[in-house]
Amino acid sequence: MNQQLKWAYNTFSGSFYNTFITFISLVIFGFIASNLVGFISTSEWAVVTENKRLLLVGRLPQGEEWRAWSILWISSFLIFSSLNIFVKPSIKELIFISVIFVSVCLIFITQDALFNVIIFTTLSLGSYLFAKYISQTPYITIFRKLLVFMWISIIPLMFLVLIIGDGPKPTLWGGFLLNIILAGVAISIGFPLGLLFALGRASQLPAVKIVCTIYIETIRGAPLVGWLLLAWFVLPKFLPEFWNLNETSVVIRAMIILSAFTSAYTAEVIRGGLQSIPKGQIEAADSLNLNLYTKLTLIILPQAIRVVIPALISTFIAVFKDTSLVFVLALTDILQVGRIIPEQDPQFFGKALEALSVVAFLFWIVSMALSNLSTRVERSMGIGTR
Amino acid sequence: MSIFIAKLSTWSRSQKNRNLFYQLVFLILVAFFVNYLVSKAMQLELTLSHFESRSGFGISHTFIKDYTSNDSRWSAYFTGVINTVRVSLVAIILATLLGTIMGVARLSKNVLFSTIAYLYVELVRNTPLLIQIIFWQIIFLKLPRITEALTFGSTVVVSNRGILLPYAKPAEDINSNIFVIVLLFIIIISFVLSYYLNKKEDIDGKKFKILNYNINGSLAGTFVFLILSVSAYFILQKPFVLDLPSLYQNSKGTYLQSGGFEFTPEFGAILFALVIYTGTFITEIVRGSIQSLSKGQTEAAQSLGLTNYQSMTLIILPQALRSIIPPLTNQFLNLTKNSSLSVVIAYPELFMVSRTIMNNSGRALPVFFLILFTYLSLSLIISLFMNFINRRVTRIGA
Repeated sequence: MNQQLKWAYNTFSGSFYNTFITFISLVIFGFIASNLVGFISTSEWAVVTENKRLLLVGRLPQGEEWRAWSILWISSFLIFSSLNIFVKPSIKELIFISVIFVSVCLIFITQDALFNVIIFTTLSLGSYLFAKYISQTPYITIFRKLLVFMWISIIPLMFLVLIIGDGPKPTLWGGFLLNIILAGVAISIGFPLGLLFALGRASQLPAVKIVCTIYIETIRGAPLVGWLLLAWFVLPKFLPEFWNLNETSVVIRAMIILSAFTSAYTAEVIRGGLQSIPKGQIEAADSLNLNLYTKLTLIILPQAIRVVIPALISTFIAVFKDTSLVFVLALTDILQVGRIIPEQDPQFFGKALEALSVVAFLFWIVSMALSNLSTRVERSMGIGTR
Repeated sequence: MSIFIAKLSTWSRSQKNRNLFYQLVFLILVAFFVNYLVSKAMQLELTLSHFESRSGFGISHTFIKDYTSNDSRWSAYFTGVINTVRVSLVAIILATLLGTIMGVARLSKNVLFSTIAYLYVELVRNTPLLIQIIFWQIIFLKLPRITEALTFGSTVVVSNRGILLPYAKPAEDINSNIFVIVLLFIIIISFVLSYYLNKKEDIDGKKFKILNYNINGSLAGTFVFLILSVSAYFILQKPFVLDLPSLYQNSKGTYLQSGGFEFTPEFGAILFALVIYTGTFITEIVRGSIQSLSKGQTEAAQSLGLTNYQSMTLIILPQALRSIIPPLTNQFLNLTKNSSLSVVIAYPELFMVSRTIMNNSGRALPVFFLILFTYLSLSLIISLFMNFINRRVTRIGA
């Protein structure tokens, strides 16, 4: 008891400064808590519950909803089985995940979507348990390879599901679905491109180096909204005329710009990894007479990418957050839906904070999951501790 | 022919020659691509001549420079640049302060304090900046309406049209510019004085004394600054007067507020969002840098009997500063570029003004190049300044 009192005295008081800091912290906590309680007690969530569809899938037609649901099912299978195979969460993390899972289900469950939500829940739980079962059998290596393959092909798969059999026009995509699609496309196109540009910038050939540097620095020079605005005004005039590309929908334009932007930023991150490789490694590869391709794929890239995985993931998080900027292209992503409804529907006037907080919550979950993944990778590789 | 092939094979055996060949091929491909882009761009209007013409739109926030809708588009553009610089500069200073405090707080022994920092980082960093800008705008608009505006005496007026603070304004029929110049001189003089005194103290190893009183360089500088500036103010016959905000009703009975320094909801929202968002990244940078120092530094400071505050300000932070500054520069650049998001709440900075010009003129490409050029120049200025500081910081102890 005396020990605990002493600990408490040392932590919260002990010196004048520390007592002062404790006092200030208490005031801040009290201020935030009182505001939060005030907000929750006066809030009305009808603005969210009555506009779930718009928030999640935008103007996707009623009959086409199964596409969004199947994307959700595929990803829930992938996420929950990989959770058991690759991540192996602790009890504390499992509780955290289930709390978030349940709250998301509660926010977005509706009468007519009940059946779909039930499929989603059983699929998630089932795949989690299935992965747990399979990890004790010898099939785990095959299953692991299957999962990796599925993760790589998830973006094309998503597209396939959205487009297959006379799907809705891209202009009808919206809501959170649009954010996910844009982020997915930007990352899966931007990352390989960024790898190329990083290698180009680290190249010994001056011409390649200069061109890649100019590309990276130009893209990084202007803010993303600037590039999106350029896409809005003049990008179609620069696209080739076949395939009617110059009449492309704004969604495709947003994808082009976001991919270019992601490639420049990942290139900078990967360049840091390339610089961290000791020169001896490259000399050793040269002395083994490896050619450029083998040198890159066996010696340089595995080491370079390993070091920058946390930084890469935070770049991807930034890209995901940046998909909310497509308002410049008049696309209705989830943030725009959440902003426009309380402004234009008289039924929901003055409910902007409620809508905004749900939107922020959804963004927060995805970013938080990714950033936890990055700390986990960091720890399992012992990057920070060396 | 066979001689040619033989020559070619000898030529290509050299790594240098082959590299030359690869680069040539690469450059030709790039040239084709650039040529394509340029040929497409040539079909568009590429000059900035329309910037001379009348802008025709008003800008709600003007600072330093006056602007009306009759001025040229160049004038509008520069007003935008000033607004960008203004919000970025204030936000950079405040975000650095907040980030440093929170970075130290995350490592604090005080659990309450470190929890605040932890929650702050985890909650704010993982939501888009755009959401935060809109959030702060909503908060500022929840201030009382102008008919029920809060007034504190006649010094501060708070309503959802803005917060008015007392401010200095130039007095009539006295040239106030002279005072500004004199003030600049006084600042330089007092900085030089305090720098000289501190340097002397470092070299001599003892305090500088006048009549047996110890003189601290920084204190002396502040004292001299106060004395000189106050006397200059009175000698120049009070060139600035206090501008108090006021709340009044005009002849039609509408409430109006004017005077003083106006802290508008738009400016407040973008400033708060930028400071609080960028602050989280600076927090993580500061924390990482402090953690990367060896623990022996803290222990050495403790064994010298320094207090926690002293060991932080004298031992830990100066050393951490070396690894803080390069990533900090990056965050400052991000902040400046992120200020363009204020377009969503209609704070008229560079990007919003340029967008209006694009819309009005229909010539997007040259205006975009102007935006690119301006942001690149701003980035360059920040980088140069931070490199200058970095050189100073890394020189200590070297």
